[in-house]
Amino acid sequence: MTEFGVVGTSAPRLDGIEKATGRAAYVDDMVRPGMLHGAVLRSAYAHALIVSVDVSAALALPGVHCVLTGDDFPHRYGAFVQDEVVLARGRVRYVGEPVAAVAAETPALAREALNLIAVDYEELPAVMTPAEALAPDAPLVHEDFAAYGRRVAVPLPPNVCAVTTIAEGDADAAFADCDVVVEGVYRTQPQVHVYLEPCGALAEADAAGKVTVWSSCQSVFRVQATVAEVLGLPMSRIRAIASKVGGAFGGKSDVTVQPLAALLALRSRRPVKLVLTRDDDFMMMRTRHPAEIWMKTGAMADGRLVARAARITLDGGAYAEDSSAVLGFALLIARGPYRIDHIRLEGQVAYTNRLRAAGFRGYGNPQVTFAGECQIDEIAARLGRDPIDLRLQNAVRAGDDWVGGQRLEACGLVECLERLRDALPPRMPGRGIGVACVAHISGILSTSAIVRVLEDGTVTLSTGAVDLGEGADTVLSQICAETLGVPLDRVNYAVPDTDGSPYNWSTGGSRVTYMVGRAVTAAAGQARDRLFDHAAEMLECAVVDLELRPGGRVGIAGVPGAEVAFRDISARAHWAVGGPIIGNASVMFEGGGFDPKRSAVTGNGIGRLGAFVFGAQAAEIEVDDVTGQIAVRRIWAAHDVGRAINPTAVAGQIAGGVAQGLGYALYEDLCFDGPNPANPTLMDYKVPGAKEMPEIIPIIVEHPEPSGPFGAKGIGEPPLVPVAPAIANALADVRGVRLRQLPLTPERVLDALDAART
Amino acid sequence: MNPTFTVNGRSCSAPADGTATLLDVLRDQLALTGAKRGCNYGVCGTCSVLIDGVLGRACLALAADCAGREIVTVEALDADGTPDPIQQRLVAAGAVQCGFCTPAMVLAARGLLAVNPRPSRAEAAAAISGNICRCSGYGAIVDAIVAAGHD
Amino acid sequence: MTGVAFHRPSRLDDVLALLAADEDARPLAGGQTLVPMLNLDLLAPSAIISLADIGELRGIDRRDDGSVRIGAMETHARIAASAAFAGGQAVIPHAAGQIASPAIRNFGTIGGACAHGDPASDWPAALVAADARIEIAGSSGRRDVAAADFFQDFLTTALQPGELVTGIVVPPLAGRGIHHRFSRVDSDYATVIVACAADIAPDGTCNVVRLAIGACGPHPARSDTAEALLTGRMLEPALIAQAGQMLAEAIDPLDDVRGSAAYRRRILPGLIARALESLR
Repeated sequence: MTEFGVVGTSAPRLDGIEKATGRAAYVDDMVRPGMLHGAVLRSAYAHALIVSVDVSAALALPGVHCVLTGDDFPHRYGAFVQDEVVLARGRVRYVGEPVAAVAAETPALAREALNLIAVDYEELPAVMTPAEALAPDAPLVHEDFAAYGRRVAVPLPPNVCAVTTIAEGDADAAFADCDVVVEGVYRTQPQVHVYLEPCGALAEADAAGKVTVWSSCQSVFRVQATVAEVLGLPMSRIRAIASKVGGAFGGKSDVTVQPLAALLALRSRRPVKLVLTRDDDFMMMRTRHPAEIWMKTGAMADGRLVARAARITLDGGAYAEDSSAVLGFALLIARGPYRIDHIRLEGQVAYTNRLRAAGFRGYGNPQVTFAGECQIDEIAARLGRDPIDLRLQNAVRAGDDWVGGQRLEACGLVECLERLRDALPPRMPGRGIGVACVAHISGILSTSAIVRVLEDGTVTLSTGAVDLGEGADTVLSQICAETLGVPLDRVNYAVPDTDGSPYNWSTGGSRVTYMVGRAVTAAAGQARDRLFDHAAEMLECAVVDLELRPGGRVGIAGVPGAEVAFRDISARAHWAVGGPIIGNASVMFEGGGFDPKRSAVTGNGIGRLGAFVFGAQAAEIEVDDVTGQIAVRRIWAAHDVGRAINPTAVAGQIAGGVAQGLGYALYEDLCFDGPNPANPTLMDYKVPGAKEMPEIIPIIVEHPEPSGPFGAKGIGEPPLVPVAPAIANALADVRGVRLRQLPLTPERVLDALDAART
Repeated sequence: MNPTFTVNGRSCSAPADGTATLLDVLRDQLALTGAKRGCNYGVCGTCSVLIDGVLGRACLALAADCAGREIVTVEALDADGTPDPIQQRLVAAGAVQCGFCTPAMVLAARGLLAVNPRPSRAEAAAAISGNICRCSGYGAIVDAIVAAGHD
Repeated sequence: MTGVAFHRPSRLDDVLALLAADEDARPLAGGQTLVPMLNLDLLAPSAIISLADIGELRGIDRRDDGSVRIGAMETHARIAASAAFAGGQAVIPHAAGQIASPAIRNFGTIGGACAHGDPASDWPAALVAADARIEIAGSSGRRDVAAADFFQDFLTTALQPGELVTGIVVPPLAGRGIHHRFSRVDSDYATVIVACAADIAPDGTCNVVRLAIGACGPHPARSDTAEALLTGRMLEPALIAQAGQMLAEAIDPLDDVRGSAAYRRRILPGLIARALESLR
């Protein structure tokens, strides 16, 4: 169903051929004259005082130009708690924490220099789990916590960096009235992003001291702001440019190695390229928040879901970073996409001496939805109800309110469930089928766009949106082309560059199609309006008489011969009347938040977010009774995207999200052996390969979002979320066992099967 | 003695450093950056090249030991300016997202199609079973390889 | 790493002389194990000696007595595709075809894998199940060692300093063979390996059986008592389970990210039953 020319078509990725021919330039492919190579030294201890750091031998090595330590980065930063430094100062707080950095003539020399840095540590007792961290008299991960600047100022217990509560209605009273109550504790593991391109940056300072940083990042603006902050420079002296990004998934949302590269470049007065090795990336960067979730859901005999309570503890690792937002989002979602009036949700993020936890596709949703969607099935089982049927009975619909009071302007969840039900085949012998829903939010914070009509009538579109591979550049260009009625190849998508691009918070939060798309529609619309103003004068008519015609023309409606091309309009604007045609727009989501008459909220770290998106998935599995291994045969994934601007790109996000969800459900777990990560390498931490993949059947549902560009909203994160609970529910379906811990390893499945037999 | 091998038909010699890998030579000496350094220890597959026509990992091939070998990198496939059918198929199938795995997938497909011109889905999946993709879920890549087999 | 010399002699004696003269020199076979170790700075050899031109290390040859001699430099891919193996020797190409992934199989060699001696890898169990012998050459001469005596411990084999694996000889084996590996994902190291060469009559009587368990301890595990239990008997589930239990007790696994020791012991009998079922 395409009533549009460009929107709704599966236009090929703008840089597809460039990537397929190996010509796309990722940061490690870039070379600058006189470039040096950087490397980073990792902490060997989970918790230790840094007694001394002796860099003299490293500096003396011929070919080494610069060595940095914590002394070079005095500034503490952090989005919610200012607890973090670029290089450890005074103490280290996780195995792998960056302690020093060098720039040298070759990568080999840089690594050799690292080996010559002598760090004297005095080991301290470490806390490796939230339970240890929250025990009375536990060693403090941050002794100076009270002195740190904080965005959300609520009192916090020791080793806790965020606490949030949300309550609506009267959950305790509601539970007392329920006919069925299920209760359980669910545990999820640290998942590593494993973007295929390790973190990297190339920095170069000019003679005036302005630093340009090319990097693999999710936001050139976040890079600019954080690098400026930690170097104590004005943002106007930092220029951040996005090189091609080889995957991110949330792990490159915050700065990675950009501050190090920037200061190495400034000090050595040479360009410096710093790309992490894969194992450095595993040990230094970030994981998804592991979670322990106690949850309780109550229902009436007739199937109405009435109450939900949850207590969530997230393991934030050694530094707070975005943990407060992940917690807040997890709690906002924890009710699930159901008409549940009574909720009591509490959460905290604990500090531990582990690798930092950060945003990762889903942002707290995979954890809570694992618990929540397992509980819906547990209730269905107790009531003797079909799991899809029970969900349909309780599903939110357009016009309903979410937690906090935000109205759902459009909601395709019912259609997702119905189409899922229609797609499911009868049970094959030995196979189980499980279902799970997802609600997520597409949006967050602000964005902007500039559309310029060039002298020849073609168009340059500038947004700050970095494409991570999901196709932001293509989809936004499609939106721009559609709004102006031009072919896609007349739109030039400018590389995100803080010098030229208007601000965009980041690529993440499933927000680009929805938020940046809105800005693009508005900016292109403004450009169109200017084109019409000129055309009206050129054609001597009223603006209301005009229409856009395909191919970049404006004409008088109903008069085929009366038209003028963009080229001619733009020439007039540039050379005769009015000046260059530039459309621009700024967008901030205006809904959301918490209505105080409805919700009691404390410690909330998140603000107004965006439009809700919904989905439902089913997984068909088999279980090997000898090994306990789960084999997933098919996954049906129905997702409401409002409008599919580019259906193939949407299907690609669904398939890729499901694949990562499959890894989360079955295979991926960064394990710890005491203070040390036990498997921080690709040899021992395994992501799904081609032979693990089930058949994936995407079902694209479109309930246009009134505020979205052509009705569209996001798809980046939701497909990952329902996979784990759908598989867990399928396991219960085929073998009658209920597992509440991820990943669903063969050993855990076998333990559960054995326990069920006894 | 400076052992030579060919890369995309042109003769090259290995550097003096006995531990330099083929990947080092391709990227740092020859500016052929289509082969990537995703892990540098042979698991991710992003360094894939064709060595004497079969799929190999450039990060695991010592340059000095490549004497007499014919190396083909992704850059050879559109040397005449026209993308290879498998490259076009991958883009058309929506199999190119972040693109970091794509050159390797192209070569894995080329290596397969040279010995199995009409692979099944299972055979295509097996051919790329040593190449990680974190974006696409592999389905579209398999679609493209099977479609290229019907070209 | 600069200053590492590279040699590529064309005669085995020259290789052995170089190795004898320099204890920090390393032979290079397919590179699929040696080179990652170089890349990760786990090894700092003084010299690398390529075996690529040593003709004696090549060839997959079926001999008149039905044995097959595999040159150390033969790749897993060539072994997997070879028609030289018959009967229970099928365990060998079956193992070869499942190692890692296609690109690794194209260049990794059986000699390099054996010399590395990683008990989590596929060759040790397959070769022990096949009663293979490992041919070794050093400057003091030639010898050969039974596979069961060759794979001694974690990264520890019967090779003495300066010695090389030159070939593997697989004896004639009646019946059929299977290399049954269970792993988390396809390209991962195995969690448990059951390698088996057995001759099972159509009525289910087991004439001969050889079972070796891999990835479950410092070296492959085999049990004479388990094999004796099955030999000459009808293979019924209870009997197979009993043999499986014996092997579960014979292995010495560790807890690791692929599974606990207890888990490996628990699933082993079922995997053995599966392997034997497929060899009927």
